[in-house]
Amino acid sequence: MTCSTHLGEVIAARMPEHQSGVRVVRRHHLLVRWSHWLNVPILMGLILSGVSIYWASPVYKHKPNLLNGNVDPFADLGVWICAHVPGLNHYSSPSDWVYNHISLGPGMLAMALRLHWLCAYLFMLNGLVFVIGSAMSGGWRSLLPRGTDLRDATRMFWYYIGVPVAKLTHRPWLHPPFNTKYNALQRGAYFAVPVAGLLSVLTGWAIHKPMQLFWLTAIFGGYDKVRIWHFWLMWAFILFMVPHVILVLADGWDTLRSMIVGWSTREERSEDF
Amino acid sequence: MNCEDKHSAQKADNTSSTESISQRKAASFFQERPPQVMEVAPQLLRRWTRRDLLVFGAGAVAAVAAGGALLPQTTLKRLGVIHENKDWPRREWLLNKFLHIDDDVAEALYSGNRLVPTYTKSQITPLKNNYNGATPDPSYIPGWRLTVDGLASGLSVSLNIRNLLSSFRLHEQITRLVCVEGWSAIAWWAGLRFDDLLRAYPPVSQARWARIESSVNLGPWGNPDPYFMSLDLATARHPQTLLATHLNGHPLTVDHGAPLRLLVPVKLGLKNVKAITRITYAAEEPKDYWAERGYSYYDGI
Repeated sequence: MTCSTHLGEVIAARMPEHQSGVRVVRRHHLLVRWSHWLNVPILMGLILSGVSIYWASPVYKHKPNLLNGNVDPFADLGVWICAHVPGLNHYSSPSDWVYNHISLGPGMLAMALRLHWLCAYLFMLNGLVFVIGSAMSGGWRSLLPRGTDLRDATRMFWYYIGVPVAKLTHRPWLHPPFNTKYNALQRGAYFAVPVAGLLSVLTGWAIHKPMQLFWLTAIFGGYDKVRIWHFWLMWAFILFMVPHVILVLADGWDTLRSMIVGWSTREERSEDF
Repeated sequence: MNCEDKHSAQKADNTSSTESISQRKAASFFQERPPQVMEVAPQLLRRWTRRDLLVFGAGAVAAVAAGGALLPQTTLKRLGVIHENKDWPRREWLLNKFLHIDDDVAEALYSGNRLVPTYTKSQITPLKNNYNGATPDPSYIPGWRLTVDGLASGLSVSLNIRNLLSSFRLHEQITRLVCVEGWSAIAWWAGLRFDDLLRAYPPVSQARWARIESSVNLGPWGNPDPYFMSLDLATARHPQTLLATHLNGHPLTVDHGAPLRLLVPVKLGLKNVKAITRITYAAEEPKDYWAERGYSYYDGI
């Protein structure tokens, strides 16, 4: 296969004659775009209900606090926040503060479980949509790790760290060059997220059916350990989402738009901000 | 251009390559493809953008509406989205639908032949009394009897603990009890098999369910609050489903449902009824204490 065949895929038929067109690059398959955005409400539902489920029996506990009887570090955090954040001094139930803000609320186990099952089945279906979309477009190949990724990802990391400094001091700050769809850091993150999604589903089933699927529970080290896996996988999603959103917004409209419309006007990926 | 670089790199690869053809094929299968470039008229591109933004925007609005309808009222009130209860008519229907789907999946996963993992005595963990402060007064124990209804004989049977211990073989097992709240405990149980009771006192032929009841159960403020639970007979016949009489080598204490409790390790803890006073076989699914409070019906794990 040669290069010209790919350039030959330029669709000329879409162009009325004697008119200059805009060159755009296909970025994301329709199904990948849908599954990407559907993850937003589904993951939100899973996290809100998941933390409410966690409330019923936290995996991390300490000896009961002599003053308030709390055993859960999330409850301690709520008490600390209400004691130190101005305006929260009269919050009615400080130990519930965290659960009131990152979950459906305390004492809602039945409701949280029902929402969690609903969102979990939707999450699995959505994962299937992603798999079909990336198989149809072949886009999964852009996510596979390369041998040079560790070195390149380190470079990208220091580049991102240096961007705000360079901006403030008006110094030029060159983007490390790359000629793949994603730079090594992006690739690592975008590869890790579907893997984390798969692990979340597997650990979820291992917690949900520890008797019928006891072998699956055993793979993750048993019932109590698999709850810890599932808990930290949630944090992996949250930790991914924060820089993901910041970097996409920093990268500009073209990148955000490409996840909606599927194409980008940037043919060359390596350019500085 | 980068495309050419790739091309020449591939050539260089080919000449110096000592790999077998199949390996090279595999490498190219996993290799990232060059980007597809299209040339599109500006007005067409604008139309595409407008169309996709509208479609995805409508999707976002629908997602917010669905989320708002599905989230619990108390959560929305706390967030200041609503000020009084407004129930979306189809909301319960949708949540129940998925609860039933999940129950059907659990039932499909169940196998009467699959045994749950057993543990050694060194793996036993403390088992908490989940009566939550409202443990019944042990005065019911001396006069305790188990009533069994819905039998093929048309009679109802009343048994005391000596009848049960003398006429059935006791089986021991060290299994894990998993609570819907997420905690679990490994304990050493002994008791008669539910299956043996079913054989000794066969239920009516069309029976598919058992209603298991504890009339001595108390509510959170110590008020009488009979506990009743549905159990499918397929699960009741599982060899590890016991009517337990002993915990850790001693007769059950009041904390753990003396003198007889259900031990069904393939179900959530809430199906493991303590201090059973009545078993009723039925053709139709009986009511369930926790299902009435928004939990699932089948609870198979």
